[in-house]
Amino acid sequence: MKKYILLLLGSFLLASVAYAADSQIWGEMRVENILAYGKEGSLKLGSLFTMLQSNYFAKIFLAILVGVPSVFLLHYLVIGPKVFSHDGKKIYAFNIFHRIVHQIAAISFIVLVPTGFIMTFGSTFGGGEFVRMMKDLHGLATVTFAIVVIPMFLMWLKNMLPTFDDIKWMMIVGGYLSKVKRPVPAGKFNAGQKAWYWFATLGGMVMILTGAIMYFMDFNIPMINEVTGLSQIDLLRASAILHAVVGFVIVALFFTHIYMAVFAIKGAIHSIITGYKEEEEVKILHSSWYKKLKKEGKV
Amino acid sequence: MSVNEMARMKFYCDDDRCIDCNGCSVACAEAHELPTGITRRKVITLNEGIEGKEVSTSVACMHCTDAPCEQVCPVDCFYIREDGIVLHDKKTCIGCGYCLYACPFGAPQFPRDGAFGTKGAMDKCTMCAGGPEETNSIEERELYGQNRIAEGKVPMCAAMCSTKALLVGDAQEVSKIYRARIAAKGKGVQSAPYGWSKAYGA
Ligand code: HEM
Ligand code: SF4
Ligand code: SF4
Repeated sequence: MKKYILLLLGSFLLASVAYAADSQIWGEMRVENILAYGKEGSLKLGSLFTMLQSNYFAKIFLAILVGVPSVFLLHYLVIGPKVFSHDGKKIYAFNIFHRIVHQIAAISFIVLVPTGFIMTFGSTFGGGEFVRMMKDLHGLATVTFAIVVIPMFLMWLKNMLPTFDDIKWMMIVGGYLSKVKRPVPAGKFNAGQKAWYWFATLGGMVMILTGAIMYFMDFNIPMINEVTGLSQIDLLRASAILHAVVGFVIVALFFTHIYMAVFAIKGAIHSIITGYKEEEEVKILHSSWYKKLKKEGKV
Repeated sequence: MSVNEMARMKFYCDDDRCIDCNGCSVACAEAHELPTGITRRKVITLNEGIEGKEVSTSVACMHCTDAPCEQVCPVDCFYIREDGIVLHDKKTCIGCGYCLYACPFGAPQFPRDGAFGTKGAMDKCTMCAGGPEETNSIEERELYGQNRIAEGKVPMCAAMCSTKALLVGDAQEVSKIYRARIAAKGKGVQSAPYGWSKAYGA
């Protein structure tokens, strides 16, 4: 709790320091910004952002919101879920630290994604107090996610490095296109889970960074401008574009992650709550890991 | 005048006349009782230090034709009056900042008055035309400042400009005055300075 309060206080302080500094947007830089808008040879981020935001971003988010769950509904109806015995032996997969870190990230995402959608479709919700509150919640959930993203990245890093199994897994799309229970080539995590891990952690960090840039808006950290070669206003435009584009991928994979854990593999979600996976599930869906455990005499 | 030739209100600042006195900016802040940190109108100097090319001009919201801010707002809180003045509804605005990213002139500003010091509702020049609240109500004045247009007055900045560099009015009228000034000086018609095409829809 203390950590949260400190972080909140910290961001509040940073915001006031940033605001007190000579404005990078409305101060001396304003002349350069006006002259650079749409100039030949520049990145034209102002007009690019205007074009993307007014024509595409909301439509693409809507397509993902409707399209991805529809595909899964079809999959559920045609191929159906994989059901494994929940009465058999269990394999301990996630220790208490893994579970707590994951749960904090999970709760953060459950807040981040819907609030992000509400802002994206802000006019549908009429804007005003409600959408503003969702925006504040979006910012708060960013703080909790930011606390766990690095521990999560590190705790699973070793298991998430690519292996040959991943290529084989992708060739058969993880066996999800078939009703047959055949051993699927995968270690503790399969290629799909690995992809989600990389997008959720590295992509998540991009989301935190771009979100923080937009949140603080008028701060003065010359190093960022030098490294990116962007003026503050262009940095904001690039952040808004990146936040949306990386957001598309994260939202699509987040829906996939939920579908897999809750529906496609019946009851798989229990493993991250209790720490135990069903032995039969591991044997089929993580066959390489199962073989390894067997060799080590752990099952 | 036919309906499709309806007057479009525009600002125009004649940089031959602007003497960088900053009076417009101060008049605006006083008239609308703007909080510190918010400057709806600002005088900027271009080509600073280059002899013969240094000019000053006054910028605020330019009330653009096809306003980019209006196109990107996720809560659609902008509305463009029949006379072309671009206004927005602060009660609907969520302070996301998108309008600033889209704006060629850096006009939208954000007071840090939301919860936890987050960005509050966007503020920008209203061409002294208030907002969606009841005209000349206390609420309108508190949120947007004076509604001088409703009273038939000229916007504060242009009214007090001592050199009459800052002009405001129907785009065609304003450009007529500007052309007449240039002709009187025998300079020949200049094209609009710098990248102002967004504002004037050229
Ligand atoms: C890892 C996930 C994410 C993180 C860490 C994150 C973080 C942030 C932060 C810190 C802000 C600034 C809030 C403010 O200005 O008060 C923001 C804004 C925003 N985010 Fe996210 N976000 C994430 C995911 C998403 C997703 C999935 C969506 C869309 C579905 C989304 C849409 C938006 C929108 C529309 C804004 C508002 C406009 C803005 O301030 O730019 N975000 N995000
Ligand atoms: S100057 Fe900026 S805020 Fe004003 S109408 Fe144009 S885009 Fe909108
Ligand atoms: S800051 Fe307000 S006016 Fe500007 S785009 Fe966002 S919601 Fe619209």
